[in-house]
Amino acid sequence: MAVDRRGFLKFVTGVSAGIMVTPVPWVLLDDLSIWTQNWPWIPSNVDGPNTFVSTVSKLCPSCVGMKVRLVGDRPVRILPDDNHPLSKGGISALAVAEAQMLHSPARVRRPLKRSGDGAYVAISWEEADALLAEKLGSAKGSLACVSGDETGTINEVLSAFTARAGSQNFYLMPSEIQPAAKALAAMGGEGQFGYDIENSDYVLAIGANILESWGTAIRNRAAFKDAHPHGQEPTVPYVYVGAVQGNTAAGADKWIAIKPGTEGAFALGLAHLLIKSGASSYASDFSAFASLAAGYTPEKVAELTGASADGIKALAAELQKARRPLVITGSEFGQGTPVGTVAAGMAVNLLLGGLNRPGGVKLLPVAAPVVDSALSRAQMMEKDFVAYLSRINAGKEKAPEAMLFYEANPAYGLPQADKMAEVLAQVPFKATFTTFLDETAMLCDLVLPVPMGLERLDDVATPYGSGSALYCLARPVAPMPANVRPAADYILGLAGKLGYSLGFGKWEDVLKAKAQAMGANWKSLMAGDVFVSTETVGASLSFGADLIAKSLTAKTAEGDFALAPVHKLNMGTAKTAIPPYNNKTIRRWELQGSEIYVAMNGATARKLNVSKHDKVVVSNKSGSIVARVNVFEGIMSDTVAVLMGLGHTAFDQFSKGKGENVMQLLTVGFEPGSGQSVWAMAGVNISKA
Amino acid sequence: MADRHLHSANGNSAPSQFGGAAPFFVGLVVALILGWWAFPQVLFSKKHQPVHFSHKVHMEDAGMECSSCHYLREDGTFAGLPTTESCADCHSAPLGDHPEEIRFIEEYVNTGKQVEWLVYQKQPDNVFFSHAAHSMESCNTCHDFTETELCSSCHPNVAEMDEAPVYYENKLTKYSKQTMKMWACERCHAHPDHYGNTRSSNACFVCHK
Repeated sequence: MAVDRRGFLKFVTGVSAGIMVTPVPWVLLDDLSIWTQNWPWIPSNVDGPNTFVSTVSKLCPSCVGMKVRLVGDRPVRILPDDNHPLSKGGISALAVAEAQMLHSPARVRRPLKRSGDGAYVAISWEEADALLAEKLGSAKGSLACVSGDETGTINEVLSAFTARAGSQNFYLMPSEIQPAAKALAAMGGEGQFGYDIENSDYVLAIGANILESWGTAIRNRAAFKDAHPHGQEPTVPYVYVGAVQGNTAAGADKWIAIKPGTEGAFALGLAHLLIKSGASSYASDFSAFASLAAGYTPEKVAELTGASADGIKALAAELQKARRPLVITGSEFGQGTPVGTVAAGMAVNLLLGGLNRPGGVKLLPVAAPVVDSALSRAQMMEKDFVAYLSRINAGKEKAPEAMLFYEANPAYGLPQADKMAEVLAQVPFKATFTTFLDETAMLCDLVLPVPMGLERLDDVATPYGSGSALYCLARPVAPMPANVRPAADYILGLAGKLGYSLGFGKWEDVLKAKAQAMGANWKSLMAGDVFVSTETVGASLSFGADLIAKSLTAKTAEGDFALAPVHKLNMGTAKTAIPPYNNKTIRRWELQGSEIYVAMNGATARKLNVSKHDKVVVSNKSGSIVARVNVFEGIMSDTVAVLMGLGHTAFDQFSKGKGENVMQLLTVGFEPGSGQSVWAMAGVNISKA
Repeated sequence: MADRHLHSANGNSAPSQFGGAAPFFVGLVVALILGWWAFPQVLFSKKHQPVHFSHKVHMEDAGMECSSCHYLREDGTFAGLPTTESCADCHSAPLGDHPEEIRFIEEYVNTGKQVEWLVYQKQPDNVFFSHAAHSMESCNTCHDFTETELCSSCHPNVAEMDEAPVYYENKLTKYSKQTMKMWACERCHAHPDHYGNTRSSNACFVCHK
């Protein structure tokens, strides 16, 4: 029986019809759709029992307490910790991303050495040890060390190591704590300013972005939440004085817009009105301060700051009426503040009788160093890294032979960042202990990977902004990657090899000694408890009138417009960059593609003849950035707000090449009186691109 | 040339030239055989559990229930399959003389190795399923299920099996043949009797987080 063409076609038709009533097409279609979801690189859940461990964030500058949910030994989620005094049921956008950042593509996972052609090659720890010992040995006496950890006892290890190497060049990366410490010293006090926000009945923040990123922001938010019960009238008024209507201004019961950098003058205006209403003090320099403040009439302050004279008067009256008012002064973006500004704000607290009383400013005790030859906290605060680099740049000081960085990223995070990187380039040998391949690591000859806070034993001692002295441990809750090493133990070992005696061989012993010095119980700390001290340091502070007077003689910023950098924790920090987890939290009017948006109000936009989405060049003598315009009425007139945390040239695809780094526009000046490097008041010119 | 035209009138009828409906039906039957018999043979590979396990012995002889091993942890998460340590609570030493029990103790208990049990109804990560929400308490508000009945509404009823069922692994998807698809979940989630009586919403995000 021959099969002809017609027969074959009939057969095929039969097969086709038949196959449609079998599972073949339908099952294959379904299975193929499932198969497309089965690529090996897609991470999959790991099942196991859930455990929760309380610890503290070493990445977030708010030092927020957190509860880590683990499945087996794998952290899967960061949750708020109700019992931690710096969390109180809240969590920051940076800390919440930590579990995912363990797997960040920007992590350094093995020691890297820069080869002759500039490329980084992986080396063993033994090779790294030998290179570091050789370079540090030959640089003896000409070493500088920079730490980006403001609250850790590792600073004692690093400063002692530097001292044993014959150098006093140990520095912290600049932040709010340094000007505050200098202000306290100038006012004749000891310890550290603490802000008892929970017990205050009137909170005034001048510049300090207390509900966004300043100080212990998450704890501040918890106090704000308690004072603003849902659906009811606020029990404690919060007032914000600053240039940008960020989260703090938006949440506050009252927002008074002022020009960036005029916080000190505003505080003096309040002091003037308080003194006029009878406020007084037994401080030795009260009369000098009163004479200084007398010049800051509401009208003059209104002219200097851009606030209304009536608004200033109303605010002073409200402060006077309050029983436990608190004034917090600082920078909107957490750095570059003049010492005089902090002192001026503190003077208002003194006039309100707010020193060491509930709901006021407390002087918190600071434990003495436990490591031999380490700098005390007060000595660390005296050191000014930006001033040091400026001296090298000006040829007034020789660049060191070697520089060590510990979780610090000055090549990105300092004002005039490119200029600072050029100065760093003059240092012949640089090594960094870092978790991520950041801009500073890209300048270094040796990159040494350290574990993240979730993988190591570390500590937090009284972060700036806290209302009481406290101490807690970051406990290792996740296994440490094979080729990273904790920096503290490594430095202690290196000190031994170089013959520097620091008095400790193990990092854990240093922490035990620190806990004892703080008065804390080690076992309790290791169980996740936080040691909180109710002690304060007794003192009768002066007003620092001389310092404030000199500070206010600083030249006003050049340029037609004021620059207001905005710091938000979701954008990470210089040492973390933008957590990949947080890219979706960047708003479309902050960044689109690789273009940054700067914000200004309608009046400023009209003055510049620009409208939303127009391209502009924002520039000054330090640098320039190209940006698009967002028009937002929550910005002071003649001011341009620029988001910090963009413009990275290192890290990973989630941060690199996105927008511009506003630090390029912040010009370093030196405050008359204190000599502190300052950059809170920057002026810019804006033109259409 | 006209003679060569196929025309029934000149003898070119279908039956004699493999015409008519026969080729169609042959094709149909071939397709049906291929689709219903051969295709599953090709698509699925047969696998067996790495250790012989009799649910029947544990249920009938030891008086255990499903939840004796497959329980909810204190935090509400489901323990799933027991670990070797859990099994070792009873089987640290042989309780009988079954060679598989002896092998289990030697290969797993003594070495601490976990058994790579084959899960018949493993769900992909994009499906959020909580055993806690499908508990006796919630379902028996209206139903009157025994534990075995409730578990076997979704899982194969292994309670009376002496041998674990053969595991058919789909060569394309790598899932078991018995993995529940969405329509199976919807038997309950989309059932009108459940509307208003349970919280078994059929909204996408109830299962797909």
